[in-house]
Amino acid sequence: MSDVEILKPLKTWSHLAARRRKPSEYEIVSVNLQYNDRPGSAAPYELDPNVFMNRWYVEHRNNSPLKHKDWNSFRDPDELIYRTYCLMQDGQETYVYSLFDQFSAREHDKALTPQWAGTLARLYTPSRYLLHTVQMASAYLAQMAPASTIENCASFQAMDSFRWLSHVAYRTKELEGSFADKGFGKDERHYWEQDAAWQGFRELMEKTLVAYDWAECFVALNLVAKPAIEEGMLRLLGNVGRRNGDLVMSLLADAELIDATRHRRWVAALVKLALETDGNADVIRGWIAKWTPLADAAIDAYASAISESQSAADAAKQATATFRASLGL
Amino acid sequence: MTVLNRLDWYNIARDTNWTPTYVSDKDLFPEELTCAFGLPAEAFEEYDEPYKTTYPEYVKVQREKDAGAYSVKAALERSKMYENASPGWLSVLKLHFGAIARGEYSASSAECRMVRFGRAPGMRNMATFGMMDEIRHSQIQLFFPHQYVSKDRQFDWAFKSYDTNEWAMIAARHFFDDMMVTRGAVGVGMMLTFAFETGFTNMQFLGLAADAAEAGDWSFSSLISSIQTDESRHAQIGGPLVQILVKNGKKAEAQKMVDISIWRAWKLFSILTGPVMDYYTPLEHRKQSFKEFMQEWIVGQFERSLLELGLDKPWFWDDFLREIDEQHHGMHLGVWFWRPTVWWDPAAGVSPAERQWLEEKYPGWNDTWGHCWDVITENALEGNMAKTLPETLPVVCNMCQLPINYTPGPKWTMRDFPLTHAGRDYHFCSEGCRWVFEQEPSRYKDHQSLVDRFLDGQIQPPDLGGALKFMGLSPGEMGDDALKFAWVEEVRADRIKKAS
Repeated sequence: MSDVEILKPLKTWSHLAARRRKPSEYEIVSVNLQYNDRPGSAAPYELDPNVFMNRWYVEHRNNSPLKHKDWNSFRDPDELIYRTYCLMQDGQETYVYSLFDQFSAREHDKALTPQWAGTLARLYTPSRYLLHTVQMASAYLAQMAPASTIENCASFQAMDSFRWLSHVAYRTKELEGSFADKGFGKDERHYWEQDAAWQGFRELMEKTLVAYDWAECFVALNLVAKPAIEEGMLRLLGNVGRRNGDLVMSLLADAELIDATRHRRWVAALVKLALETDGNADVIRGWIAKWTPLADAAIDAYASAISESQSAADAAKQATATFRASLGL
Repeated sequence: MTVLNRLDWYNIARDTNWTPTYVSDKDLFPEELTCAFGLPAEAFEEYDEPYKTTYPEYVKVQREKDAGAYSVKAALERSKMYENASPGWLSVLKLHFGAIARGEYSASSAECRMVRFGRAPGMRNMATFGMMDEIRHSQIQLFFPHQYVSKDRQFDWAFKSYDTNEWAMIAARHFFDDMMVTRGAVGVGMMLTFAFETGFTNMQFLGLAADAAEAGDWSFSSLISSIQTDESRHAQIGGPLVQILVKNGKKAEAQKMVDISIWRAWKLFSILTGPVMDYYTPLEHRKQSFKEFMQEWIVGQFERSLLELGLDKPWFWDDFLREIDEQHHGMHLGVWFWRPTVWWDPAAGVSPAERQWLEEKYPGWNDTWGHCWDVITENALEGNMAKTLPETLPVVCNMCQLPINYTPGPKWTMRDFPLTHAGRDYHFCSEGCRWVFEQEPSRYKDHQSLVDRFLDGQIQPPDLGGALKFMGLSPGEMGDDALKFAWVEEVRADRIKKAS
């Protein structure tokens, strides 16, 4: 046995030790955390290889048309970990709730016109349904992502979507207090299911929710649907709100778009990684071509309800296209 | 202050179910991913989570919890905890982190299943926090042991274990994968959060926290107590589901899921937690015996919550009560004997004083397990170390994947629970494990246990050396007696004293 090497302690996890530099806290706690991609294992999960969920992961994750030899090499450009996420978002929430507090103290909502309040009831507060679909879709992406570093980004995105939804719920209750006759807290589901303004977004997200291939889900959600929601609804609401004296709407949209901008950073990094593999650009372009008409139609339907001019819709659509154009496709 | 009370808007944030029309309800919520037993969405809209928290409350409270746990770690970094800890305690840490840290990450994916495929909005929102909690638990339980990797190669297994075919990890994955990530949303809620987290994680996290505090490992104690505060929140996702299923005529289905999870969790805990509490933790730091913890947390508290929610005691309750007296002693003996096949150094825990404690807590121990340890002790006293080591692999159960073992001595009741299904023979350790298999053979039938892989020729050369290689264990990682047999010297001294 004397020629057998006795393994010595390393400075970090053995899977990170080959590299020369000291790993960051982000890498120590975020990289390669999934074990359902073990090389040589009979199936993703330690059960019958043919059990439904093993087949589901093989079909919708392993056999996705989007290929990369090492998805685990993905790194979140923001290097967010749980600890820093809570630290950061607690600070952001403190800001948002101080806005709510200050504007409520100076009776902001009483100064809004009944007409604008009606617009909010029809075109803002029903958005909790839309944001919840983003929360659900992000959680699907998280559970199917082929690397923990991707899964974490998608999980934080699900949590951020819940954050935005929570803001909507809060404002719904406040607005109900100031405008009892506008249907706040009562009519949202009806608008979401029936009003022409919402049907484009509803169709887009219902279909995104059943895009079960992980990578198609990523493209539909993060390259097409989320940018459409952020530009075609959130930013638009903020802009039109400001013109209608609704500074809460405007500042709230700005605060939430900080999250959206962060999401786009990891999305851009993931697309960049994917483009290292030949053929992926065509796969992504194909999905973009498939999903963009739905998203553009959603923006048109929504924007035409909130703004009198077509230019608002065009600007929003252009902004989503500009984002996609920045990805090197 | 003119900020709204959270209860003013909480219900609005969980009023998010809608009727899809652009895709079918069946496509949006496939039964295999939802596990709703055919119940419509409306049946789940009564779901009312008992623990209510909001996004801003969550990030604030969690930020503070993290600040607490990380600052305790930072403050104690220069303490001599590691240098002064008993070898048995370090084994507790190695076993805990290796078996748990990345399993928690997988639990986050399971929570995601509930966020996406849960039929109740309140459940989806609570699972969103659960998803975050489990990321926390994996990250913090990797960050803490990472400080020890430069001291001892076995700590590398806090990360590495889940990537290997080490036998205990096959067992851990088989259990966790069955309860968490291969179930539909309701299944996750019932089996992971209700049965496992309400019942069993208390044991691991509160029980071990108590021992850690006694052992002076404040960093670990504060870490796992902090984790348990999250667990006790998101564990409550399952309770309202039990009520909904019972109310809608699905009690039998609910009972079965809970029974499967409890039986399987018990088996894993008999090897994960039992030896740790009754053998590895230094005698003077033991708060309660494993059996006492089990009786307080599982038999007392969990049994009550089962009945309160309208379920019955599991059919195997008598077997279970008998096993909590016995099973973990055999698991411990097996782990210690097959110690080169684990990534920690098992503490034998059978010095004269420890044996006295075991006899006190488990009357009859000396007449049963004690006899096996007598033989080991004699061999060690005579320097026959080879006889204290294995040459082959144990027979493992086709469900729990753990060695099949029974209480030795006069009451020897060793038996195998065989089953032939679709032309293949299976061996189980117990009626419970065989019953789990029979409930849904398609989940398990083509899985290969470690022994199946051995017989299949996947382990080469087909001996212990080949098995160690297959399990990813090299010298420097393989386990040995935690005290390097110092306890044998205590026995020798004891005998000399008695003889003189």
